[in-house]
Amino acid sequence: MDAESNNSSDDIIIATDVHKWFGSFHVLKGVTTSVKRGEKVVILGPSGSGKSTFIRTLNRLEVHQRGTIVIDGVELTDDVRNIDTIRREIGMVFQQFNLFPHLTVMQNITLAPTKVRKWPKSQAEEIAIELLTRVGIPEQADKFPSQLSGGQQQRVAIARALAMQPKIMLFDEPTSALDPEMIKEVLDVMRELATSGMTMLIISHEIGFAREVADRVIFMDEGEIVEMGTSEQLFTNPQEPRTQLFLDQILTH
Amino acid sequence: MSTNFDILPATELKPPVSERGIIGWVYSNLFSNRFNTTLTVVFGVILGAAAWFGLKWLIVDADWTVIGTLGGQMVIGQYNIEAACPGKNCFWRPQASLLLVTMLLGMGWGIIGGGLAKRIAIGVVAVLAAFSLLPYSLERMGLDVRLLLLANIPALAAGWALARYTPLGSARWLVVLAVGTFLVTLVLLRGVEGVPGLQPVSVIYWGGLMLNLLLAVAGIALSFPIGIALALGRRSRLPVVKLLCVVFIEVFRGVPLITLLFMSQVLVPLAFPEDFPLNSLLRAAIVITLFSAAYMAENIRGGLQALHRGQAEAAASLGLANWQTTLFITLPQAIRNVIPAIVGQFISLFKDTSLVYIIGMLDVVEISRVFIQGNPEFIPSAQELFIFLALVFWIFCYSMSYVSRRIEEHLGVGSR
Repeated sequence: MDAESNNSSDDIIIATDVHKWFGSFHVLKGVTTSVKRGEKVVILGPSGSGKSTFIRTLNRLEVHQRGTIVIDGVELTDDVRNIDTIRREIGMVFQQFNLFPHLTVMQNITLAPTKVRKWPKSQAEEIAIELLTRVGIPEQADKFPSQLSGGQQQRVAIARALAMQPKIMLFDEPTSALDPEMIKEVLDVMRELATSGMTMLIISHEIGFAREVADRVIFMDEGEIVEMGTSEQLFTNPQEPRTQLFLDQILTH
Repeated sequence: MSTNFDILPATELKPPVSERGIIGWVYSNLFSNRFNTTLTVVFGVILGAAAWFGLKWLIVDADWTVIGTLGGQMVIGQYNIEAACPGKNCFWRPQASLLLVTMLLGMGWGIIGGGLAKRIAIGVVAVLAAFSLLPYSLERMGLDVRLLLLANIPALAAGWALARYTPLGSARWLVVLAVGTFLVTLVLLRGVEGVPGLQPVSVIYWGGLMLNLLLAVAGIALSFPIGIALALGRRSRLPVVKLLCVVFIEVFRGVPLITLLFMSQVLVPLAFPEDFPLNSLLRAAIVITLFSAAYMAENIRGGLQALHRGQAEAAASLGLANWQTTLFITLPQAIRNVIPAIVGQFISLFKDTSLVYIIGMLDVVEISRVFIQGNPEFIPSAQELFIFLALVFWIFCYSMSYVSRRIEEHLGVGSR
């Protein structure tokens, strides 16, 4: 894995020996990996494995306490300007959607572009309609989030993140809170996004989706990367007993 | 198909309809068993007796002349007595202020459009216009007073037209003009040295409902932003800011308002030079505002605490700065969620303005009490007077409650 940490201009995310503690609990125990421009990485692991904490350190929703994280050439430090720059380049989609309930779908999407990127409202709205069309719900622009189904809300959340025209998209279990019949509509949007060349880090247990989309699959457990490889390698021929056990559990449930 | 199941069409069943009618309803809700029947009879007798004696008092016994005798004093206190305003010709100043407020109401109607704003504006002006027709002699209620009251009708129309046909018709201008109106009102009431017709009237003569309303409006308008600032300060990551806010909130919540009002009169003159330009009215307004702001801060902080962490995280992940997250995401939701508590605080503040009697100011309640005390022949009328006062307070407080419920509905609180 040492080869991974070698800097190269192709690497848009370089995490080196990232540690994180919650109180005295050691959540991340030296995570080292890098992600190439346009690469799709799916991260798997049991709950409490630190996978969610890890991707949240990438846009500094969690602060790592040791190691370095470099995003597109900018190192994440306490410097607020760096954090703001990096957050503008990284979109994030949450398990619970986290749409702003007091704003319409349109306002949810245009808020950041107008306030952060300082685009004029008309331009932001044009882009919002484009994105809503792309995720398949242009007719919902004037509704409030509570009037949408879970799948629609998550698609709005994806459009909202894309409106900032990020270089990287993080997905933190985007389909885990959805009813089964709505999972596909969200995965379809993500598939389409993957073919467009976006760099994506996805925490998901949707094995079929991972096989289809992932360039690389990472298995994490107890705060460290246990194993990684192509989806073919990891799913059909896992090397580590912990990976085998986990895959057995999620594939045979 | 080998099966011979008869697939019955799924008939759509309507929900059961009550066919009991009124008698059925009365029976099942009031007389369905012995216990129910007993309760119905007992409370029926109590309610009947209360209604009988209440109505008898209201229609036969009550003598409302005391209210007419006090009349204008309930509204403006001693503002227009000889000692305050030689010549007793200052009554037009509060009335002119009222016209400005009416214009604002008209503008609000013009900007917001029909519905609630329209109903409030028309309701207020209808009441004011009705006052101009009170059946008192012109001696007691002059033609000038009546005309100035009637002028509220054109003032309302003027405000509405201003909002519709001039560039002033925006919410931003409404706020600016509201603040301006309040300041003009203060200058009008206080007067300006050397300007004819505007001879200064000392604040010790300001009173009546005017005093309650001035204190309430200033208190509400200022305690809200101060409360927000304190709530945010208490959640600040800067320890000094946080400590200062906590100390402020706990001190003002920990001392009774009466004590604070009293202290403001006793301690401020000790701490400041004698000619320090802080009159008793200002001091009372400051104390009421800060007292209310401390409660307001805790209400709003409660709203902020209740928000899911994901809201701020989503905003941060989009690149919004902390202050933008607060301004656009967390604060609007927090305030929306605690509207009932905020309005409760406003209502409480309005009622608390009566407490300024403790520092010798004659608000609407105190001036009534003083009047009864000074005119023993009206002692039997105290009942009527204070029932009337209760009604006046209730109308204002219920209006606030009503407006807040309509705002909640409009914002979809509880449903989104």
